[in-house]
Amino acid sequence: MVTLTINGRSVDAPKGTMLVDAAKAAGIEIPIFCYEPRLGPPVGACRMCLVEVEGMRGLQTACSTPVAPDMVVNTDNEVAKDAQDGVLELLLANHPLDCPVCDKGGECPLQDRTFRFGPGETRTLEPKVHFPKPLELSPLVALDRERCIACYRCVRFSQDVAEDAQLTFQERGDHTEIATFSGDPYEGRFTGNTIDLCPVGALTSSPYRFVSRPWDIKNTPSVCAGCSMGCNVEITERDNEVKRVTGRPDPNMAVEEGWICDRGRWGYPALRSADRIDSPVLVDSVGRRKVLLERAVAEAAGVLVNRDARVGILLGDPITVETGFLALELAQRVGAGPAMVARMGIPGTGLGPMRSLPGAQMDDIDQADVVLVIGGDPCTQQPVAELRVRKARRRGARVAVFGPRPSALDDSCEAMRTVPGHLMDAAGAIRDRLDGSQRAVVLWDEADLAAEPDAAALIAGLVQATPGARAIEMCADTSGPGLRALGIGTDADLLAATEAGEIDVIVTIAADPITGPSGDRWAQALVGVGTIVEMASHATAITGHADLVLPLLTPLEEEGVLVSMTGRAQRLRPGAREVPGAAAAWEILIGLTHRLGTPVPDRTPAQAFSRLAREHAPFAGLDYEVLGRDGAVITPPAQHDPDSARRDPQGEGLLVIACTPVFGDATAHRSDALASVVEPTRVGLSPAEADRLGVRTEARVRVATPHGEAVLPLEVDARLHEGAVYLFVGDPAQRAMRLLPLDRGPVRAVVGVAAREEVSA
Amino acid sequence: MTTHELEEFLAPMRHEYADPRSLILPALRYAQGDAGWLDPQAMAAVAEATGFSQAYVESVASFYDRLYLEPVGRRVINVCVTLSCMLRGSDEIFEHLADYLGLDGEGTTDDGMFSLHKVQCIGACDRAPCLQIDAGQQIGPLEPADATCLVDDLREAAAPARYDR
Ligand code: SF4
Ligand code: SF4
Ligand code: FES
Ligand code: FES
Repeated sequence: MVTLTINGRSVDAPKGTMLVDAAKAAGIEIPIFCYEPRLGPPVGACRMCLVEVEGMRGLQTACSTPVAPDMVVNTDNEVAKDAQDGVLELLLANHPLDCPVCDKGGECPLQDRTFRFGPGETRTLEPKVHFPKPLELSPLVALDRERCIACYRCVRFSQDVAEDAQLTFQERGDHTEIATFSGDPYEGRFTGNTIDLCPVGALTSSPYRFVSRPWDIKNTPSVCAGCSMGCNVEITERDNEVKRVTGRPDPNMAVEEGWICDRGRWGYPALRSADRIDSPVLVDSVGRRKVLLERAVAEAAGVLVNRDARVGILLGDPITVETGFLALELAQRVGAGPAMVARMGIPGTGLGPMRSLPGAQMDDIDQADVVLVIGGDPCTQQPVAELRVRKARRRGARVAVFGPRPSALDDSCEAMRTVPGHLMDAAGAIRDRLDGSQRAVVLWDEADLAAEPDAAALIAGLVQATPGARAIEMCADTSGPGLRALGIGTDADLLAATEAGEIDVIVTIAADPITGPSGDRWAQALVGVGTIVEMASHATAITGHADLVLPLLTPLEEEGVLVSMTGRAQRLRPGAREVPGAAAAWEILIGLTHRLGTPVPDRTPAQAFSRLAREHAPFAGLDYEVLGRDGAVITPPAQHDPDSARRDPQGEGLLVIACTPVFGDATAHRSDALASVVEPTRVGLSPAEADRLGVRTEARVRVATPHGEAVLPLEVDARLHEGAVYLFVGDPAQRAMRLLPLDRGPVRAVVGVAAREEVSA
Repeated sequence: MTTHELEEFLAPMRHEYADPRSLILPALRYAQGDAGWLDPQAMAAVAEATGFSQAYVESVASFYDRLYLEPVGRRVINVCVTLSCMLRGSDEIFEHLADYLGLDGEGTTDDGMFSLHKVQCIGACDRAPCLQIDAGQQIGPLEPADATCLVDDLREAAAPARYDR
């Protein structure tokens, strides 16, 4: 601890603390613009933080001056005030002062600091520098160069955090402007963070342009359900609509550090896509019609109460733990005896050893000496995890990436591309990297290691044998860890029972089995089911077959808890309620238990959560209050499903590598804001493999597995491995996921040129 | 100019710079020597030879007035317009030259022979008003008539093998 004096007060601060932070801790605000420790060491670009340090010549920038014993600092005397006035006057010398038409107005640090610390008037008589405005930096980010104060934040984010090397300054002095190389669009997975970072109205979100004023909105902290990262976000609501999603201003440093990916940021227009279900639908002897929610719930209860009805409940993704818990409660109360409850997901076969490894949180990566990424591709599947990995590499940690998929990390980290189906080959290299490490963190992919149980066992052994090594599972589904913690298993048995005609009523919750793995089998099986009750927010492939459709709220609109891939239970808070006729799954489930005459005691998700915490050991001791602002870490059990021979089937065809980029998921396809970056569902082949098949990029190819076939566009990419076909899935309209086996395990596909009539179709 | 040439040029000086970013400037200046300005290929070569992104290289280049991102004439005439020169009549020199070259202010002649630019103090105030040809010597003090003679001489002179600007 260092003791110094700030504005006549004695202040203690840890050694190395910058003056701004020491002052802030003591309740003294020193104005800043460029200082942002998450971007790296201070750069002193804006000069807003000038303070007087007695005995030092000239004024010092408080953001880059560390505390020293017996320092005497003045932030509010004549000298310091004069400097603040002067800096603001200069920052505003060329500023257009167009706050009335600026999206940032009302939540703008430049505005706030000018009011609080500024001179109030300008002495500048010269004409201001003008730029044509605004400039589209990309279809999502608009740049108003006249408002930029050249603080470097956006440039540092692009260069030093996302490492996409895109944003730079061009020219100098009062002609300085932010630009990309030759004016190319600013491309990346994290571009929107520059908007959150910009302390003025220079960078704004195009979809949010002129949408609202800060005094007309309500901001709600919540969690993104886009992937298992579980990034904390803030949802902006106005007129019952989600108008914006941003990083949380007080970041969760153990999860996303305030960064979110563009899919998480601009997915919200999907709430208003054309296929949103806005009303319950009932199909009966009268026909197909819209009904009130109460009526629909009563109808569903009428079906479930039937003493002869054997019921199955299928949970999709994302599902809150409260919904999972209430589904289990409902299962106890229906028809002919307990209903089967299952989730669509990957069985834990063979993952026991990996899941028993000591777990790490994302911020443990900041301390790691070795970081290994085994399988999967965080850059596309859990994007924000990529930023932590990059940060570790910049700090000097040894970072290595293994697996069959090319990754955006390959360029800057050690990369070992394994032959598809042979993750085992990486074992030696993994052992080398772990050798002698003290604090390794191993990120491993649920889908890839489940597909290779032998490799999983071996790698788990290597990590286990390394002192201090910990693991993070990169989960395939957002709700996987939460539902696993409730003991809900995957859907193989439910499908088998449905096929065997042992299920009379099936209730799907946010699930689309016909589009999912083994969709064709599900489609067949559902033909024999008497009643299909679907709860969904958007139309799915079964909506047309359902006897009853109940509209759901989406995760941006509902309350509940999601468990992230690091086991962090975090609260979703409703940002808006866009569809008046829709309800949260937990509301409908509670309503059903009432109609069945055996009501659960819960009335809110908070109560349901407290009760499930008492009944399910992983959640012991938790309630909403304990979860608080940053959530609490639980350890979901490994869940050993019976071995279902998840091995490469060998034989004819190419091994399928399924890729599930979040930028290609259903929400991304439904959000018009993401139209310029959405990843199409497609087939990827290496040039050699394409030659062998005689196909070229832009051709459409037919892919057939034992589970189904599809005609998809082809992309030939030199970074892909031979001997495999990469299947980029996600667009519900393409239904490519159904080519995979139910357990998403290894499968081989025969790829061929599509016949002419298929191409035109 | 190839990346390889550029790398050979940089090789002996690499060790002189503690921060590899500093290599970008000599590289840019060398790359400009070929065509007299930095065409996209030259910029790409610099990016490759130094290991920085093209965006970053362009950002550095755009900072400096004497690194040209647009084509310029075979010879660049820089007229100083800062205080000393201004007080001693640089405006007149500039106008006179522009007239003589058929230019409306700063710019490049249609035949691509000359570019005329206004620049800030070139450190030759003792010879004000003064101008500079490419990065070569400063010439002054000048009368308008001297300036036009200078242009005529330049027109006769052979184009340099490599530009130094
Ligand atoms: S655009 Fe914004 S963040 Fe970027 S330098 Fe300008 S003021 Fe700073
Ligand atoms: S990384 Fe995942 S959780 Fe985070 S913002 Fe992106 S989609 Fe959402
Ligand atoms: S905040 Fe200190 S110089 Fe910008
Ligand atoms: S003012 Fe012209 S050379 Fe200095």
